[in-house]
Amino acid sequence: MASVEVDQFLPQPPGRVWQALTDPVLLARWLMPNDFKPVVGHAFTFRTEPVPRHGFDGVVHCQVLDLEPPQLMRISWRSRNLDTVVSWFLSPEGTGTRLLITHDGFDDTDPGQRTVMGILGGGWRGHLVQRLGTLLDEGGA
Amino acid sequence: MPGPDVFDAIASPVRRALLDVLAGGARSVHDLAAPFEMSRPAVSQHLRVLRDAGLVTEERVGRERHYRLDARPLRAVSDWTAHYEQFWRRHARLLRELLEEEDS
Repeated sequence: MASVEVDQFLPQPPGRVWQALTDPVLLARWLMPNDFKPVVGHAFTFRTEPVPRHGFDGVVHCQVLDLEPPQLMRISWRSRNLDTVVSWFLSPEGTGTRLLITHDGFDDTDPGQRTVMGILGGGWRGHLVQRLGTLLDEGGA
Repeated sequence: MPGPDVFDAIASPVRRALLDVLAGGARSVHDLAAPFEMSRPAVSQHLRVLRDAGLVTEERVGRERHYRLDARPLRAVSDWTAHYEQFWRRHARLLRELLEEEDS
């Protein structure tokens, strides 16, 4: 199961951090322009620069899955090649907040991504599994 | 112009199997077609997709074309989670800066 986890301490209390996550204007200032609303089931998009190398057209399609102020927000995160989930966990730490961002589901998505995870995880039996490292080294960066 | 998507190229089980065979060394279309019970034109069609995605290179050897694996584009795909890790680190930092700004 491939996921990304990023941990960040913030000196502000969870209530303040929650506001920055769930106010669309503030959210746009640290993440991306959006039409987010803090309502479970609300479908919205983030818009950013396209990344053609990853087949990304610059639009992330999302839906609010969970809202538990001020400790958890979870949204679906979909683009052409991705069908993933992003969660923000907030917990008080001293007078500040420990924020954990997780981005899950990279291997349950498009066949290409699953394939590469399979290759790298050894799930794809054959020459390529054994030789991928060498092949990449031979090919240079 | 970006080339055809490497994700699309490896989405097909036949093309993944072709890559797997090519990982063992360069092959002719004839050699590649044999284990797949496919016509040579059908195999050539798949090889064209792989070539356009930069995953195989083609060379003429006498009367035959030989195909060779170039695994480099797979690196871009395997960097997917690394890409998002960077993305979230960058934005977590921006969040921190935004909250600091509001404090001041």
